[in-house]
Amino acid sequence: MSKTNVLSRSYQSDGPFFWLLPLAVVSLGVFVLPIIQIVGMSFTEATFRDPSDAFTLASYGKLFSNPDFVSMLVVTLAFVVPSVILQVILGFAIAMFIDSAGDRRLPGTMIVRTAVLAAWALPGVVAGVVWKMMFSELDNGLVMTLVRFVSPEAQPRFLSSSVPALVSCVVANVWRGTAYSMILIYAGLKTFPKELYEAAVIDRANLWQRLFKITIPVLSPLLLICVLLITVQTFNTFDLLRALTGGGPGRSTEVIVLNIYRTIFTEFDLGRGSATAMVLLAINILMTWVYFRFLTNKEE
Amino acid sequence: MKRTFGVLVFLTLALGLLPAGLMAQSTLNWVAHPAYSLSGTDPKRVEYIKKNVDEWQAANPKVTFTANLLSTNAAEAAAKMMEQAIQGRAPDLAQLDGYLMPGYVPYLQPLDDLLKKANIDPKDFFPFALNAVKGKDGKVYGVQFTTDVRVLYYRKDLVPTPPKTWDDVLKMGADLKAKGYDAFLFPAGRAEGAPNTSIYPMFWGQGGELVDSKGKASFAAGANREKLINIFAFYKKLTDAGITPARVSNYGNEADQNADVATGKVAMFLGGSWQVAQLKSIIGDAELAKWGVARIPQKAGAKNATSAGGWAWGIFTKDPAKRQAAFDLMMKVYAGDPGMAGWTSVAGYLPTRKSVYKSPAFASSTYTDTFKEILDSDGNIRPSSPEYPKISTELQIALSSVVSGSKTPEQAVDDAWKAVTQ
Repeated sequence: MSKTNVLSRSYQSDGPFFWLLPLAVVSLGVFVLPIIQIVGMSFTEATFRDPSDAFTLASYGKLFSNPDFVSMLVVTLAFVVPSVILQVILGFAIAMFIDSAGDRRLPGTMIVRTAVLAAWALPGVVAGVVWKMMFSELDNGLVMTLVRFVSPEAQPRFLSSSVPALVSCVVANVWRGTAYSMILIYAGLKTFPKELYEAAVIDRANLWQRLFKITIPVLSPLLLICVLLITVQTFNTFDLLRALTGGGPGRSTEVIVLNIYRTIFTEFDLGRGSATAMVLLAINILMTWVYFRFLTNKEE
Repeated sequence: MKRTFGVLVFLTLALGLLPAGLMAQSTLNWVAHPAYSLSGTDPKRVEYIKKNVDEWQAANPKVTFTANLLSTNAAEAAAKMMEQAIQGRAPDLAQLDGYLMPGYVPYLQPLDDLLKKANIDPKDFFPFALNAVKGKDGKVYGVQFTTDVRVLYYRKDLVPTPPKTWDDVLKMGADLKAKGYDAFLFPAGRAEGAPNTSIYPMFWGQGGELVDSKGKASFAAGANREKLINIFAFYKKLTDAGITPARVSNYGNEADQNADVATGKVAMFLGGSWQVAQLKSIIGDAELAKWGVARIPQKAGAKNATSAGGWAWGIFTKDPAKRQAAFDLMMKVYAGDPGMAGWTSVAGYLPTRKSVYKSPAFASSTYTDTFKEILDSDGNIRPSSPEYPKISTELQIALSSVVSGSKTPEQAVDDAWKAVTQ
């Protein structure tokens, strides 16, 4: 037997190394190396004009001593927490509705499912522009028209005042992101053991009892995964917010990703932008760690 | 034997001619903003560029070109170009934001000899356009080929005499507001248009300086702080009185006001010269005829000032033949006598050379004379200091915060100063 054959046999028989090699190479080039570069850059004061590579903690010092850092984290949390809660609740409700309508063979189920998915399929920047037009504070703005229909003298400020602007961002993000949680939960419902419901009906459990004593406990692993994935996605929401408010008015909707973009691409400060990116990376790693811990526990 | 000899002769000739062929044909790497390129979306612009590039190609058969595009995000484009220039990977011919030219000068080739050969007198350029491309050694390192200017637009049927001072604006604005108009708009959101149109003209009018002689931020140092606070206090008065609707705090660029203008309820706004073409297509000639343009109102006692912008061409290649070809290309299409008149007419920009305004090939509008007069006497450009991008961002945030009501003028100025000088 030739030496080559022996080698190829040993790769095939000794484990997954050979098969994972292409993926490892791609991962190294596309994910690991850029991350290493960002980590390295965060310990410099590099700018586009002065790509200095001298080691320093100055960028972290500037970041953490900046009073706007805390407000940026607060704004980010104020955007992420309600977005995640509402996306999961609405996604759950729509999935339940579609599943139950499907069981009853009601017409229009497919249309509703497609309509919800369409929002998710839209590019974020398009969704941002659409919502910017809907939240227009001119008299002919769509949401303005609806508000004026109820209260003709109202002068709502959807995007030009700090708190309403943040609420508007959450609404737009929930509209776009609900479909994702709906898909996950709907998939869970499709594998749901229906005999549990039948038993509950025999035991005269009402709707709420069935929801809180059966559906949610059975789906809880899936719901937790859904929460974790949506949280990571929402922390990384950029395109929608960039098109909708650009972080304004003032800094009232400037979440971490927008801050990173601004620092690197408009202020050309690679060091501080990379240091801020490290904070976001830490949050994402934490969420991923929770996710894997959870999966590992489930498997055990 | 004969056959082998024949093959050898053929190979010798082929190998001998190949390098000669390669040397004769050079490739010019040309990078432009999409709207200024053959890949634009406006058929008139593309047709104009194609016709002139074809003529240039016919006159330069030994040069081929590869056209690449800048990002439509000006900040991203500038950042990438600067990175390429530093690393020696810049294109041969590149379109550069006019006010950032001083930053590129160390990497650009001087063009004085070529301009002289082309009979272009540098003094024909508006002073701000020439200063932007001049190096510390006095040489010219680029050609600014378009410009624009920030002005006050006013409805002639509602505002018979345009306001000259802030007090005039407040007085007229209150009357117009009582009649149901959005009396005075200005961009006050998170983009470059906000400080460039709404802050700098009034700041420069009071004698303010954004950066000192060393390029360090000075916009809120010493007396500059008070000048900036004056501007923000003026805008706060406007929004508090309802003369300006608070929604402008979400308008980062001048064009964001176009939808408001289309409603017919706006009486005055601060905008850019390029909006004439935009408004023409949105509201039509008849409605546009109601609008006049004037100098931006200033604080009582301040001098007139405004902000000018525009794009320039810079040549990075050191190869003499390519340098000449690149120069010929930019002159033919954009910056020579017929080139500048043709391009600014078809694209709706303003020429940077005074003589071009008199050219029969330049299609002027009702507003051109006023724009030229304001540019010539009041034109200023933003500093190209490395600290400028940070200054601009913080002033956008400050203005937006004041107009949206989340900060006082003093707070906004002090926070911006802290953020820049931290």
